[in-house]
Amino acid sequence: MSEQFVTVLDWVAVLCILAGAALSLVAGVGLVRFPDLLSRMHTAAKPQVLGLLLVLVGIGIRLVPVETNVFNVGTLILVALFQVVTIPVAGHITARVGYRTGRIDESLMARDELAARLASDDEIAGGGGDMSR
Amino acid sequence: MTKTTNPRKRSLGLISLRRRLGKVQIPVALGMTLVWMLLFKGFQPRPESLGLLVLGFLVSVLIMVLFPMPPITPGPRFHPVNLVRLFLHVLVEMVLASFQVTVLTFRPGRVHSSVVAVRMRTDSDLMMVCTAIAASVIPGTLIVEVNRPERILYVHMLGVGDDEAVEKGRRDVWKLERRFVMALGTQEDIAALRAGGPEELEEQKRHEGKEGS
Repeated sequence: MSEQFVTVLDWVAVLCILAGAALSLVAGVGLVRFPDLLSRMHTAAKPQVLGLLLVLVGIGIRLVPVETNVFNVGTLILVALFQVVTIPVAGHITARVGYRTGRIDESLMARDELAARLASDDEIAGGGGDMSR
Repeated sequence: MTKTTNPRKRSLGLISLRRRLGKVQIPVALGMTLVWMLLFKGFQPRPESLGLLVLGFLVSVLIMVLFPMPPITPGPRFHPVNLVRLFLHVLVEMVLASFQVTVLTFRPGRVHSSVVAVRMRTDSDLMMVCTAIAASVIPGTLIVEVNRPERILYVHMLGVGDDEAVEKGRRDVWKLERRFVMALGTQEDIAALRAGGPEELEEQKRHEGKEGS
């Protein structure tokens, strides 16, 4: 591989990693800025996914000319795969528990089709428990 | 006495072992072997690569014998071209939505959001799980609750305030579902998608009317 090509690859890798880091920063800012749990989940779980993927792509590009013994592209693919598959699970469980225990800000909800549903479920069940509020 | 009971016990053990071995799903075992190979860099040509492959397969089979899982039925059917299109679609959505969420993050004022009920058009566990995972990975949407018997996903959408945005978000989730069904669905799923499902027809018509006007 020519010297010049390696330099170009380096720059692409650096740009990817920087963009990924910027997205993760946005996630951090959103975490501070948004008022309620559900909105925070969005920033905590999401730009971070793309950010992480970009960082991984950057590292992958960087690894092409210098194959090391510690990491290789296969490892990176595994990291990406398991991140993408596991993040939704954690996000969903947190959101579900947060919703059901009332850790949400009603005034920020423009429309809530689940609350009506849960209320009618409660009525059917004999009004047992007030989980949806 | 012991001589007569012991072989019977052993044969019972053998039968249960055989039953468990019968439950081993070869595609899943192969997938696990692939992960094993990636973990141990088995794809770099080395003298021990073949041994790694065999060992990985044996470990996968052992895991599935010790922790048997119910099979996914119906399993995925792969449509390669649509799979690539699905992948690109999710990637593009991720980039666009990340940008939108970034804009929302830095815009002053309160950000409203909604929980929207989206009824899936196909009645398949796999399609529902895939759609839910993809919707969760794409920024701006988050699955709050799943109602499996009525196949409804309750999706929390960030920055969605008015009715128009709600309908747009709903259409986005449907689009995602369509991509998944086209890439991984069985013939029945695709047919269900085309038919739109019994309860869905009315709403779909309304959307088409809205889009047409």
